Amino acid sequence: MGKTVVDLQLPLSEEDARGLKLGDMVTVTGIVFTGRSRFHIRAVEESILPPLDFERINCFFHVGPVMRQEDGQWQIVSIEPTSSIRFERYGADVVRKLNLRTLIGKTTMGLRTAAALAEVGGVYLSKIGVCGNQLARQVREVRAVHFLDELGKTEATWVLDVERFGPFFVAMDAHGNSYFEQLGADIRSLLPEVRHDLGIPEGFKLTNVNACEVQDLTHVRGLENER
Amino acid sequence: MILYATIEAAMYAAMRKAATTIPPDVEDALRKALAEETDPLARQHLEVSLENAASAAQGDGLVCGDTGFPLYFVTAGSGTVIEGGFGALWEAARSATARCTSDSLLRPTMVDPLTRTNPGDNVGTGMPKVELVFCGGGDGLEIIAAPKGGGSEIFGTFYRMLFPADGETGIKAFVLDCIRAGCYAGKICPPAIVGVGIGGTADLCMQLAKRAAVLRPVGSRNPQPRVAEMEQGLLAAARRLGIGPMGSRGINAVIGLHIETAFTHTAALPVAVNAQCLVGRRWTALVSADGGTRLSG
Repeated sequence: MGKTVVDLQLPLSEEDARGLKLGDMVTVTGIVFTGRSRFHIRAVEESILPPLDFERINCFFHVGPVMRQEDGQWQIVSIEPTSSIRFERYGADVVRKLNLRTLIGKTTMGLRTAAALAEVGGVYLSKIGVCGNQLARQVREVRAVHFLDELGKTEATWVLDVERFGPFFVAMDAHGNSYFEQLGADIRSLLPEVRHDLGIPEGFKLTNVNACEVQDLTHVRGLENER
Repeated sequence: MILYATIEAAMYAAMRKAATTIPPDVEDALRKALAEETDPLARQHLEVSLENAASAAQGDGLVCGDTGFPLYFVTAGSGTVIEGGFGALWEAARSATARCTSDSLLRPTMVDPLTRTNPGDNVGTGMPKVELVFCGGGDGLEIIAAPKGGGSEIFGTFYRMLFPADGETGIKAFVLDCIRAGCYAGKICPPAIVGVGIGGTADLCMQLAKRAAVLRPVGSRNPQPRVAEMEQGLLAAARRLGIGPMGSRGINAVIGLHIETAFTHTAALPVAVNAQCLVGRRWTALVSADGGTRLSG
């Protein structure tokens, strides 16, 4: 295993958050709450939030756990972090609204959320590999569930007491920096040689049957980020 | 005649196994990738994933907590006879999927696309998906259950109508862009198995890509030499992008690149890409005409 893992106490203090660097390996101990798309959309568009004290319960874990009920008690079968970038439309608003210092998820988020995290003094922690079974074992207690009837088990907000939960790596720090944005620059620098060796001439473009008058329809063709 | 109960039980058994055990060829490919990666984070992504899979195989948890879309790929022979007719396959798939969900082997994930209503059993219009093809003169059934993860399907699906003038250069440029777009920040959960469809109509093209990604053994080669050469060239290029497991710094953005082709219109060159994530979940149940069922990875 790589770097030393630091255990962070939740709720994360602004000082602890500001001290973290991109790539740091961490676990968290304390209370987390969960949510996915429905949480974000409802929180921003309809001001619907679970009745939680967000100063105390301040770590937002992007996940839909696999849950099983035994003798009236909720058990976690597996709890795999979900792709946070899906929530980018609402991410910054939710971070500011709830003053979130810790987000946990898969991949990363965009620049608007990075800016919001820098404002409030918060970090984004990204999962290591496929880890949902290990994470399930690090949950001490399922404390509560909200919106179960309306949203179902996957989109509901679960409140979990976790211990040395992780590890995760810091993918966005509290100063507006993003691990994957920096990595992306390195990846782009390798591309010209890879394309050249595949026999793709410099400046090669696929046939565009819409010429220039409907350039705004690029996204319809299924690859939004094409050159 | 193959009984309905036999088919339902085979579908349940294959889905259960797929949700809890990664196929041997996928595990081999991941171990090979681990031996190649040097970046500590890249290695840790793989080590944790293998550990997670081992725990699932021992009965603790699942291969991945996103159990994704419930898919069944069924191949029948022209001599296959099913109790209740072939339509019974869909009823059996609905029943097996609902049972797997109530046994917590599948997460209730399938919802209405507009109302977002979740019935809680992964059964609704068009889901689970059953794809039936016929091959040969046999009288049995091959059922492959594939719980296909959201990451790979959501962030790893691309289609574009290229043109004859774009040629193989165009195909390579498009597929390389798709791999970069999908693997950036680990969205499709690399090391990915990338399926590419070339030709057909739009729907056939995507079906080829999906089958190439989900069904073919990792690293297998297309029997057409020209296609096999393109597979090898694109795989080698993907390995030099600087992207490793879960989008880290590394080599293994892709562990398998499989291309399937179909005849197409003389004016057209459709290309589809569909990715499968690193756990590559699929498990096969072979049902013989006498009702015997055998599972294989």
